[in-house]
Amino acid sequence: MRNPFPVAALALLLSAPAFAGTAAQEVQVMDPWAREMPPNMTTTAAFFTMMNKGAADHKLVAAESPAAGMVELHTHINDNGVMRMRPVKEMAVPAGGRTELKPGGLHLMVMKLKHAFKAGDKLPITLVFEDGSKKAIQAEVRRFGMTMGHGMPMKRHMPMQ
Amino acid sequence: MKRLAWLLALALVGAGGWFLFTEKAPQGPYPGMGGDFTLQSAQGPVSLSDFRGKVVLLYFGYTSCPDVCPTTLGALATALKRLSPEELARVQPLFVSVDPERDAPRKLVEYVRYFHPKLIGLTGPLERLKSIAKRYGAYFRKALVEDSSFGYAVDHSSVIYIVDERGVLVDMIQHSSSPEVIVTRLRRVLHPGSS
Repeated sequence: MRNPFPVAALALLLSAPAFAGTAAQEVQVMDPWAREMPPNMTTTAAFFTMMNKGAADHKLVAAESPAAGMVELHTHINDNGVMRMRPVKEMAVPAGGRTELKPGGLHLMVMKLKHAFKAGDKLPITLVFEDGSKKAIQAEVRRFGMTMGHGMPMKRHMPMQ
Repeated sequence: MKRLAWLLALALVGAGGWFLFTEKAPQGPYPGMGGDFTLQSAQGPVSLSDFRGKVVLLYFGYTSCPDVCPTTLGALATALKRLSPEELARVQPLFVSVDPERDAPRKLVEYVRYFHPKLIGLTGPLERLKSIAKRYGAYFRKALVEDSSFGYAVDHSSVIYIVDERGVLVDMIQHSSSPEVIVTRLRRVLHPGSS
């Protein structure tokens, strides 16, 4: 998208604190995991928590994976018990805040997987933020039962860089 | 005062009628809901009434459902693994695919086996599925997902229905319930009066 106010943008950039990093540097990704697929399925969902350590709001705007034909940002809307899955344009992570991707809510839809991933495998995913900066993560593939309770992953609090 | 007496009499007749009615057809907490159906498995037709004497766990979904269905089926399978062998022998889990276009009965076999060896996959003509889902209060509708290469998703409710040994719908477990909740609710039906 062409920025109609390049000068204003430049001024903003210059006025920002010198130590402000890219979105990819400021957003930490915790506990990334993906669901092991049942046989013959080429689509899975990936989840993680994003923590924004910076002073500016950030947005996850896209994701890709060398192991998949396509990755989309999706959410589920629970409409009186009816689950409606829809793509979203972005996932916001407010400054100092966190955004959780979890079963039944925000998730990455990983489609056209090139081979079956089994529990324990690592699914490589690259996250793309609003400023174009990228972060590579490895989502641990987990089988059901390896996730707790409502399909929530076991918390291990392992920040990934 | 006279009016009150009439009301009382009416109520008594009503209660009597209710009693007679319940004697004939067992009623659960969801009168008018549920009931028998016949669908196709890879091994041929299967009816809910085939499992009289067992407690049936019934779930509507579809195999290309990437998140909601595997979450629920995973919780259901985890719950089944926590039952004693005696309890498990009295339980029959059923997965009904509401996406017959993409889920043939044969395709369902491997899918359901992945979650639990006892789980049976069923599907059938769309109109029949719609009428069954309606009777159970399950909702599903094909939704084109714009701006997505996903093709279409199926908007759907995600409820585990518990049908007791008489074939009566006795409980509905809402989406995102933990295996613990499923075990507790299932045991309430397996061992009535014990808790």
